[in-house]
Amino acid sequence: MSNFALEVDNLTKVYERQGQSPVRAVDGISFSVPRGEIFGLLGPNGAGKTTLLKVLATLLRPTSGAARIEGFDVVTRPLEVRRQISMVLQETAAELFLSVRDNLLTFARFHGLPAAEARRRAGIVMEKFQIATHADQKVQDLSGGSRRRVQVSKVFMVETPVVFLDEFSTGMDPILKRAVMGYLREESAKGRTIVLTTQILNEAEELCDDILIMNRGRQVARGDLNALKLLSAGVYEIVLTFDRLPETIAEDMARLGPLRSHIDDNTIEIALKVEEAQVLDIVSALSKKGRVLRVEVSGASLEDIFVELTKEA
Amino acid sequence: MNPLAAIVYRESKIRATNTTFLFFDLFYPLLYLLVFGIGVNAALGAPSLNAGLDYNSFFLAGVLGMASLGIATTSSWAFFLDRDNGIFFEMLTYPMRRSEYLLGKVLFNICIGIVQAAITIAAGCLLLKIHLHWSALPILTAGVVGGTAGWFFFYATFALKIRRNDLFNSVVNVSYFVLLFASSMFYPLAPLPRWFRITALANPITWQVDLLRYGSIGLGAPRQILLEAIGFAIFALASFAYAVRSLREQG
Repeated sequence: MSNFALEVDNLTKVYERQGQSPVRAVDGISFSVPRGEIFGLLGPNGAGKTTLLKVLATLLRPTSGAARIEGFDVVTRPLEVRRQISMVLQETAAELFLSVRDNLLTFARFHGLPAAEARRRAGIVMEKFQIATHADQKVQDLSGGSRRRVQVSKVFMVETPVVFLDEFSTGMDPILKRAVMGYLREESAKGRTIVLTTQILNEAEELCDDILIMNRGRQVARGDLNALKLLSAGVYEIVLTFDRLPETIAEDMARLGPLRSHIDDNTIEIALKVEEAQVLDIVSALSKKGRVLRVEVSGASLEDIFVELTKEA
Repeated sequence: MNPLAAIVYRESKIRATNTTFLFFDLFYPLLYLLVFGIGVNAALGAPSLNAGLDYNSFFLAGVLGMASLGIATTSSWAFFLDRDNGIFFEMLTYPMRRSEYLLGKVLFNICIGIVQAAITIAAGCLLLKIHLHWSALPILTAGVVGGTAGWFFFYATFALKIRRNDLFNSVVNVSYFVLLFASSMFYPLAPLPRWFRITALANPITWQVDLLRYGSIGLGAPRQILLEAIGFAIFALASFAYAVRSLREQG
């Protein structure tokens, strides 16, 4: 048996559109994910992440190539694949006409959990996600954030070896998001493989053992955070806080051709791809524009790498 | 748990906790029998029917057929509700075959259909003094079960193929008009113009209603009823195959 929970080989998904040219939403993607890993799929809107996830979850058939989940082919053994996975979709998915408890119990029944065990787990999961007080309330009467909790909590009702999370933190408050990230790490430590898509890059930076960056259906980079940072060698992030924002600072920043720039109050943030020797000159030049209270220079963040790679592609 | 049982569990939880669903599922067709049936019977009598039969007896099978259509359209429309709630695609990632998904829904619909038919028949016998041919009860049951399944598969295909709720509602309204009125649901076919009779005989609801009528009050020629029953079975199986295919194309 392979050591990989997921094996994707030259996978392509083309959407045929009447009267328009076909769209290659996923274009020759190949990767594999070892068991127990948290794997991040990153990319801008329309990069093909959700389409790829839908193919892996047997919701879409690939146009060509192959994908296996726990050794089962998504095209020829879809039922076996579904037995290995649980999924949180990008959109909020919940049974609005059922109570919170019944949402969890129904999900558990579909995944073959005995009734008593399902009830026991539902109690634990509701406590974990702070929805126990709404246990008997219909989901249609809950706020959007609580509905999202119900949806995400469901994957903790079962022990499928692979979990797909498509933008799982959308609509979650920061405290719950942090807690869920902790639960995901626990699940991964138990051996579950977690595949997530996100556009919130610090989420991926904190959670993922391995990251694949996609753009226009293609892989543009792959590796752990350190490997990706090497790909982006020469990218520096400069943060300067002035006592008063200099008048021409926006123009000065634009002239440097930054990968990314941001002004917040008296603080400027700028990411640049430059030679190492130039960095101090740039800091020095910008510092002359006003009285500087704080200077910070660091290597590329995942966000810088993401912007650089997806822009190039 | 078996996927079919899980679907039945889900559907029953949704329907049983919603009084609107319960009313439409169980009692709405009965109102047709009590209001429309009694009205027509009193105002027009039943001049074209066999001796000894009143309009209420004749119309009972029509109401049971209408109930099959009603359950089918309600549960097909639920696909839109599930899509809007986002749960539809999530369910397609659950460990079950596409055919099991549809069969589970049909199993629940059949349970509802049988309870509904029992309520309608009991009310018909007790309040309207309809004399049921109890010996033909298995045929009547087959008509209710087969009809409920067949019409669900038929409308499910439209609900799955058409992604727009408003368009689906238009299809249902137009098809209702054709299926209900160009059939033997409300009136016997014998006195009708030839073109109308031929159209009605080609209508699957006529096949189901004729079977239900034979199973309830014994009206109809056995040979024709048998052919119509076979025709309806083929219609139901073809609709099932097409609905499964439509479900596989989702995503």
